[in-house]
Amino acid sequence: MSTSRNYVMGLFKEESAVVSALEALKKSQWKLHRVHGPYPSEKILHALKFKKSKVGYFTLIGGITGLVTGFVVPIFTSVQWDLIVSGKPIIAPIPFFVVGYELTILFGVLGTVLGLLLNAGIPEFKSLTLYDERCSGEHFGIIAACDPGGESGLTSFFEEQGGEVRRFDETDSKQPTT
Amino acid sequence: MENTANLTPARIDSIVLKTLTPANRTYWYTVALLFLGAVIGLCCWIYQIIVGIGVGGQNNPVAWGTYLINFVFWVGIAHSGTLISAILFLFRAGWRNPIARASETMTVFAVMTAGLFPLIHLGRVWLVYYMIPYPNQRNLWPNFTSPLMFDVVAISTYLTVSALFWYTGMIPDLATIRDRAVGTRKKIYTILSLGWTGQFDQWRHYVRGYLFFAALATPLVISVHSVVSWDFGLGIVPGWHSTIFAPYFVAGAIHSGLAMVLTLMIPMRKIFHYEEIITMKILESVAKTIILTGMIVGYAYLVESFIAWYSWNPVEREMFWWRIFGDYGIEYWIMTICNVFVPILLFFKKIRTSIKALFTISILINVGMWYERFVIIVGGPAHDFLPHAWGLYAPSMIEMGIMMGTFCMFFLLFLLFVKHMPSISMTEMKETLAHGGSDVHES
Repeated sequence: MSTSRNYVMGLFKEESAVVSALEALKKSQWKLHRVHGPYPSEKILHALKFKKSKVGYFTLIGGITGLVTGFVVPIFTSVQWDLIVSGKPIIAPIPFFVVGYELTILFGVLGTVLGLLLNAGIPEFKSLTLYDERCSGEHFGIIAACDPGGESGLTSFFEEQGGEVRRFDETDSKQPTT
Repeated sequence: MENTANLTPARIDSIVLKTLTPANRTYWYTVALLFLGAVIGLCCWIYQIIVGIGVGGQNNPVAWGTYLINFVFWVGIAHSGTLISAILFLFRAGWRNPIARASETMTVFAVMTAGLFPLIHLGRVWLVYYMIPYPNQRNLWPNFTSPLMFDVVAISTYLTVSALFWYTGMIPDLATIRDRAVGTRKKIYTILSLGWTGQFDQWRHYVRGYLFFAALATPLVISVHSVVSWDFGLGIVPGWHSTIFAPYFVAGAIHSGLAMVLTLMIPMRKIFHYEEIITMKILESVAKTIILTGMIVGYAYLVESFIAWYSWNPVEREMFWWRIFGDYGIEYWIMTICNVFVPILLFFKKIRTSIKALFTISILINVGMWYERFVIIVGGPAHDFLPHAWGLYAPSMIEMGIMMGTFCMFFLLFLLFVKHMPSISMTEMKETLAHGGSDVHES
């Protein structure tokens, strides 16, 4: 059985048109590949029914790591010279809290960046082959997959939904099916 | 009055992308001039390294002069960038969108500039690695109970976080530029945009990540200038040893930063024809926030003097009397007038909607905030407990050269940025338009 697919993109200017095209696509025989857009439209995100992003877990793990590091490093370095000066404690939680606080934020942000890169799959340059440059301007692009020979039906579908259409030829569409 | 009704996503792209077209001669002359200024500053620093730190005006009793004044000044400038990009983002204040990118850029370059001053003041700059807790033969470690080490941690965190926040926010816009560029430029922007295609599977993580960025940057912005204030507040020097320093410094930082936002935005708006995007309403919103921060700063000045009087501590009382009427009285009054009284003018709509008036006021506040740091940093040690140890300070020519060089470096970096990178967030502007654009449009 052949797994090859062809891809057609419907381009829309209005968020509401994208939402209604997505609804119609779900009920059709074609399979939604992905949706592109110039900004994160809440309506479209809602229509795509994504699961909650896991970036927050990376932030949390980063933050906890930072907090622990922010206390462990000052404590470790202080006990190397346990000479009491002016009756001040060797392990001083209050000043160390400042270090812990800052490192919580630093590592939390580094965790967020890592989470963002891993979850969003960037840097990645292969997707640019199945992409229309108008999608970073004022268009939203819905890419749908069809079996070879089914492009004209998919093209008509997008035109009926009020979109402009871009077909990707076979060299463009050597993408893994989803 | 600007016509904002015609603003569409395509128009936004067109306005912003037009700023990236090859620059004219005036631009390059200005770049050359600022570069020259930065080189003069560098030469002064090299001279100081060769001859010794004594070429600066710092001496007993004032060991912290313009190097620390400028350090605090630039950290302060950085603050409003994060206020605009992170805090106002969390509050969903839509008026921040047109100026968020330029403010973030200001933050990154201001922290970089600020970070130079401790290095300059260090003298033997090549020993800066002593501040890093690395395993070493003698088992010597940094003292983490010192506010100076707090500063190292806070400022390096701030620079890292603000740079990452700035770059992450720019990725979708870099993709927009990539899609409209050709040749080598296209290749450069393809790499810079990390192959971003605006898939909604990417957007959902991006939106979440950006929210966490903003949520983490918000406590950071409060903490960084608090930490800077503790460099002084934790010392027992009269005029420094005060519990109000943290909120006082944070308010002052945002006050100066907002003024710098106006100082940068007003010429940028004019030069790049951003009137449709950075509307008068946006500038007015910044002006209104300046009234608020100006009043907080004025309140802090009053409370500080009140505490000195009410404490009945003769040293504190003498310090504040001398601060207001003594050797640096002129500096004190420049600070008070520029930071507290001048912003009151912004209560008048006619003034806050006048570009010339706004620009002039923003410059005056910048001057005032520089003098605030002068009054605090120099004033304390110059007139502390022992009358026989009192002394005055004036910056040397080398210090002035370094200061001028760093100002030139900051404006040079900003100028290079606005001509090569998107100085307005096209993505956020499109999002604003999709929500009706009422935060930007003239009422």
